[in-house]
Amino acid sequence: MVEAKDLSMRYTKNGDNALEDVSFFIDRGEFVFFVGSSGAGKSTLLKLIIRELIPSEGTLKIFGRDVGKLPRHRLPYLRRNIGMVFQDFRLIEDRTAYDNVAFAMMVTGATRREIRKRVPHVLGLVGLQGKGDARICDLSGGEQQRVGLARAIANRPAMIIADEPTGNLDPGTTLDIMNLLRSINLRGTTVLVATHNRDIVDKFKKRVLYLDGGRLVGDEQKGFYSHVH
Amino acid sequence: MVMSKRGFIPMFISGIGYVIGETFKGLYRNRWMCITSTGVVVVTLLMLGLFMMFTLNVGHITDTVREQVEIVVFIDEFATSEQQTELGRKIGAHQGVAEVHYVSSEEHMSRLRPQLGGMLEGYDSELDNPLLASYEVKTVVPETVAELAAEFGTYPGVSNVFYGKGYVENLFSVTRVIQLVVLALMAGLAITAVFLISHTIKLTVMMRKKEIAIMKYVGATNWFIRWPFVLEGLFMGFLGAVLPMLALYYIYIHSVEWVTVNNLLFLSLLPVEQVMIELAKYLVPLGTILGILGSAFSMGRFLRV
Repeated sequence: MVEAKDLSMRYTKNGDNALEDVSFFIDRGEFVFFVGSSGAGKSTLLKLIIRELIPSEGTLKIFGRDVGKLPRHRLPYLRRNIGMVFQDFRLIEDRTAYDNVAFAMMVTGATRREIRKRVPHVLGLVGLQGKGDARICDLSGGEQQRVGLARAIANRPAMIIADEPTGNLDPGTTLDIMNLLRSINLRGTTVLVATHNRDIVDKFKKRVLYLDGGRLVGDEQKGFYSHVH
Repeated sequence: MVMSKRGFIPMFISGIGYVIGETFKGLYRNRWMCITSTGVVVVTLLMLGLFMMFTLNVGHITDTVREQVEIVVFIDEFATSEQQTELGRKIGAHQGVAEVHYVSSEEHMSRLRPQLGGMLEGYDSELDNPLLASYEVKTVVPETVAELAAEFGTYPGVSNVFYGKGYVENLFSVTRVIQLVVLALMAGLAITAVFLISHTIKLTVMMRKKEIAIMKYVGATNWFIRWPFVLEGLFMGFLGAVLPMLALYYIYIHSVEWVTVNNLLFLSLLPVEQVMIELAKYLVPLGTILGILGSAFSMGRFLRV
């Protein structure tokens, strides 16, 4: 599903490598944490996966396709199969929870009927029954991230990428959001989470990829955050 | 391969409703910015329209005056009637001449009588008439009057030739300068309008860059994102052209009224309908195209996510 081979990334021509010779393989249906301190390369790696960046060297295959060689006009179709969850939620604040989720389906060309049926369903899955009409700015941080999750799963993506999804949330809400991600994973969706949250990584006992200074320094099944630190 | 793609036709059909809905929602959500952008278009096109109205009328007045420019060839009082006829035929046959009209000395006298009244008493009989008969000549190209007048002066049977020397040359050069200055001002204003409008729309797009980035993350194609903005631009540009047209209509109607009331009939202004059609021909497409291009080009940078 995600295959990186000797992957390197430099932001400027003569600058330092944000990622250096990173290789790994993530299979369909896995739940993987990317851990490491700030600047370790976690966000860069996620940006490469959604092709926000193009690798400087090496190859990165998503769904068997080299994203570095993906033509720009095919990019939207790659992203429709990847649900994105962000630390700052990235929701359209002056719209309702329903609109934010419906919007993600609209861009894929879903019909109004499909949208009317699917949006309340996914809002229910993330625990936001009856909150579809609430404006984003009137929701709590935890609720906003649930909308973000609902939006990410609305199009039934094969993979969810979450970049510090609980970075702005209190511990109780953090656990709720991570449990939601785990339940999404149990339905067969691959989940990749970049995080600083030691408690969560230790509690979930999932595969952990350790990044340090742009290098992959460890890859453990049922790993712990503290394993190499 | 997981990267599925829905059929183009169903997506296109469901997309039209989305695009139109988003256009009007976008206009409402960003109403203040849209009002500002439209205001910029209105003000610049209003200025442009005023200049156009001025140029159209300067052109019209010049054309009217040009049409009135003529050469008067006075016939020698001793010329025989054959010589007079031959002179008329020769002038009429000249390729630079559009129209020749014979004016007898009696006709000259009857034209002068209403203007001079009692001063012409005693010149009542044909024999007492001191005025010369003439040919009034209209040229094909008004600017050639001086050249043709000089040529006609050499013809046999000609006493002298009059064409308003000095006045005609000045008129042509002054109107040419006015037209060039106004054209330069209009070009400058049009360029300013393009910058102002694209800058204002860029601000509108910048305010919505977060929304655009989110659209990109959820897999929207560039055109899916662009269409509502382009239609918003079209709407703002169209409105920005129609509003100054209404203002210009009232300004022009009042100008025509003012000219009539003040009896300034030498300022023969163009009819309202003709001016408005001319303005609409340029301002409406210009406003609409400016709106569309302003939106489409302002987005480029924000679509690279």
